[in-house]
Amino acid sequence: MYLSRQLRQLPRSRLTRHIASGNGTHYTTAARPAAEHIEIPKRIERSPTDLLQALASTVGRDSTAPHYKYHDDPFLIPMSNIAKRTYALSKEAGRKAANWIKEEHRELFMHQEAQPPIEKFAPSMVYTEESEVDASSLQLLISQGEVTDAVLVYNLLEQKGIEVTDALKQSLLELVCFYNNQEPLPEEYIEERWFMQNNRRRERHGKTWKDGELAEKLYAAIEPKTPQSYAALIRGMAKYLQCERAYALLQEANEKRIQLDTNTYNAIIQIVSFIKDTAELRWQMCTSLLNQMAEQQLQPNLGTLNAVLECISTFGNFKLARSSALKVLPEFKQLGVTPSLGSYYYLLIIFCRERAPVSHVIIDILNDIAGKEFKVEHPKDTFFFATAMDVCRNHLHDKALAKRVDDLLHTGNNYDLIGDSFKEGIYYRNYLALLCQTESIEDFMQFYDMLVPNIYIPEPGIMEEILRAIEINGAVEHVPRIWSDMVIFDHTHRESLLLYVLRIMVDNRPNPELPAQQQLPKQCAKVAMDMYNKIEESVKRIKKVSFTGQMLGDILTLLVRDNSSFDQAVEVFNYIDKQQHRIPGTPADSALFEYIEATVLNKSPSQALLALQYAVENNMETSALAKRIHEGFTLSEVHLAKLKSLVGEGFINK
Amino acid sequence: MTTNLVRLLECNIRNSKATVAQRTMRVFSSQQEQSSVEDDEEFRVLNLRTIKQQARRRVIKKDAVPPPRTTHMPVDQDWSAVWSGPRSFHPASVPLPLRQGYTERGAAAPSKYANAELMKIPNFLHLTPPAIRQQCEAIKKFCTPWPKGLESEATWKAIFPVEVITTDYCHSLPTIRHPEARRVTITLNLVDLKFDAHAKDKFLRLVGERYNQETGVLTFTADRCPTRKQNYDYALYLLTACYHESFVTEPWEASKSEADMEVYLFERNKAKLSAEAILNWNVNGEKQAPSATYAESVEKLINEGENEYNIAKYKEEVLKMLKIAN
Repeated sequence: MYLSRQLRQLPRSRLTRHIASGNGTHYTTAARPAAEHIEIPKRIERSPTDLLQALASTVGRDSTAPHYKYHDDPFLIPMSNIAKRTYALSKEAGRKAANWIKEEHRELFMHQEAQPPIEKFAPSMVYTEESEVDASSLQLLISQGEVTDAVLVYNLLEQKGIEVTDALKQSLLELVCFYNNQEPLPEEYIEERWFMQNNRRRERHGKTWKDGELAEKLYAAIEPKTPQSYAALIRGMAKYLQCERAYALLQEANEKRIQLDTNTYNAIIQIVSFIKDTAELRWQMCTSLLNQMAEQQLQPNLGTLNAVLECISTFGNFKLARSSALKVLPEFKQLGVTPSLGSYYYLLIIFCRERAPVSHVIIDILNDIAGKEFKVEHPKDTFFFATAMDVCRNHLHDKALAKRVDDLLHTGNNYDLIGDSFKEGIYYRNYLALLCQTESIEDFMQFYDMLVPNIYIPEPGIMEEILRAIEINGAVEHVPRIWSDMVIFDHTHRESLLLYVLRIMVDNRPNPELPAQQQLPKQCAKVAMDMYNKIEESVKRIKKVSFTGQMLGDILTLLVRDNSSFDQAVEVFNYIDKQQHRIPGTPADSALFEYIEATVLNKSPSQALLALQYAVENNMETSALAKRIHEGFTLSEVHLAKLKSLVGEGFINK
Repeated sequence: MTTNLVRLLECNIRNSKATVAQRTMRVFSSQQEQSSVEDDEEFRVLNLRTIKQQARRRVIKKDAVPPPRTTHMPVDQDWSAVWSGPRSFHPASVPLPLRQGYTERGAAAPSKYANAELMKIPNFLHLTPPAIRQQCEAIKKFCTPWPKGLESEATWKAIFPVEVITTDYCHSLPTIRHPEARRVTITLNLVDLKFDAHAKDKFLRLVGERYNQETGVLTFTADRCPTRKQNYDYALYLLTACYHESFVTEPWEASKSEADMEVYLFERNKAKLSAEAILNWNVNGEKQAPSATYAESVEKLINEGENEYNIAKYKEEVLKMLKIAN
């Protein structure tokens, strides 16, 4: 409860009256005239949420915290991509279940406690075969965008013979064409939309338009044909890739001299790539359509620009694509159409192709749009950032550009334009890969700490890039950290990654002078043991990793380098020894040599001899080993005898 | 039989803490028993399965839990981003080694994890000085400067004598309306209003309980209208109406009797008659009136109540009037 005290002045002018019968005059309440004129500044107008927004702008991003949709608890923070998806979608499944209960037991949810009443909380209207419906309910349903219910009601009206006006039929036609007579995913299921990745595939597939169904029947039922009905049907067919018939309808409309509108032409321009095959033909068709628009005095808009650019981006002929794009842009700028992020996306895919000469168009684009705030204006706007980062990484390998793109992403509300989780993943994947190749390892680890694991979780491929960068820089002290991240993100079933980690640790001996690396032998040993245990456990799993000799040799080396884990080394060696028949390959010679060194240090000749035996059995290089053993220990008779039996007499005399 | 005996012996030996003997005894017992079970419980559970069957129970493998995020919070982080609003205490997000709670003597207070005491109390981690500074900076653009000439409390109380008190409510309910938000209270010091004697008396009678004698504050509360604006207008109307009504003398006010009087006036009361009677007892001719100071002291005594000064004064006056030298 917040008390607000407000000082207000009583109005002065009203109270100076004299009562005729009264006993003399009386005074106004604001009796004392102010000595000087007090000026009270006018109140600054603000909307109900302005203060809240001002306060919200002071709250930055906490990089250690998960996204606010997840529960903030160490046990409940998702630590792998699968976990993130599962948690978010399960939360949404809960919402869906609640909605289902509300619809199923609607008689329990009739109360409206909120003032003013919230319609979403009330159960929705159910239309069945027997409902009493009329044209106004159809209109209501169309305005709410309920496709299936509207279609049901329309059929009912047809059945009952109730008159449906042409205007109403037109709106129903538009609704059905827009959604292709399918109920879309409700807008409130944001997590499902966020994780839905079939958008990309849907575009490249064949047509999904329902031929001969309700849309076309409605179209036929509207007599005479108006420009709006033509427009609705053409746009619907174009959207769902019924290209031939859409174009045919357009030509029919032109023959009948029916005035269509800009957005219809935009829809047709978008599907030009499906109608014609070669670049020249497509360009020809594009230009002819644009000329038709000019004849009909139709003003092009952003949709036109993006449709033309989309068509150009499908050209195989690279030169034609570049030149047409360069022609198109200034002309549209003259017409007053400002490009959106979608247009820049198309420019990027036109100019920065894989087998094409390097293009620096992105620098010009960034100079144009740096610091600006964008809102969604076209469906393709969300593709820009992922593509831009891809260009920076693959096409140009430029870290400064990537940083500029990142800055643009974080200005204002531009983060809303990242699209869905797939595009976000691509964006950060490219960003991190670029950074690990171009930044120093210390700076890179700072970025890594900021982004991982809450904003982005690297895929195994990126992990490999990171490991490569660490190897190149020789920064072995980061490897234990990367290993623990790999364990948490569930990358341990990738054999190549495991081998790589071991290789890095083995090849780079820790330097005891550096303070960062003093703990390293112990940590490496821990990592090795961890890996060993994990691989053993994974035998029960489907995606199991099996031991190889090389891998075990590396593990052995790491264990013996740390002086305190000799017992574990012994255990591992015994495993190698006993499971010889199951493990392909053998440990490296160096591994065995280091092991024997360790046995010398730890004074266990029996272990040394076991190692030698193993070497002999597997046809490894035994002379150096035997020599070391002989030098390192003063062997008892039994041991000497064994040594002799293994390698022969020659070593004793040296 | 022998096994039972052996088991009994083992119990006795265990009780007497001879572990070596226990081990040797166990060698001879034919029944295999789990040592861990024996050491923990005093009462052995009868287990008809062999060891192999017992060990089948699956150990649930728990995934590795990452350490709480306090371990990788940098020291110079932006705390207002971490704890941006009032929130019940969350140990994994607060990088402070807090302890709270009562324990027996010598034991450390319980740590912050799963500490209900820390969670119950309100914490002000969202109101660190930098956070407050940031928020003030953000809100400043909506503030206007304080008017010149109203620097001291005295000036603004003089120029704006009326205070208007309203309450706004903030809650998380389906409705944004609160019935108490319509209430408006207007306060005023009585000395700011100018009256003559009759007007003041009438005003105070009209206003009744709304005037607080001790503090001299007049309070009008209005909540009979549905909206705040209406209640504010009504409260001002009440004030105005009472004020002006108090200057109007109605004809029936003449019938004010002694019982209605709010002050004691010597002129109207028995005391005068009694005093005159006493003074003029057995005097023929010129009637003597009680002195003015006597009248005043009687009035004071009765109006203000009995205190030492008043009683002494009265006594003095009486003596003076009756000419009793003292």
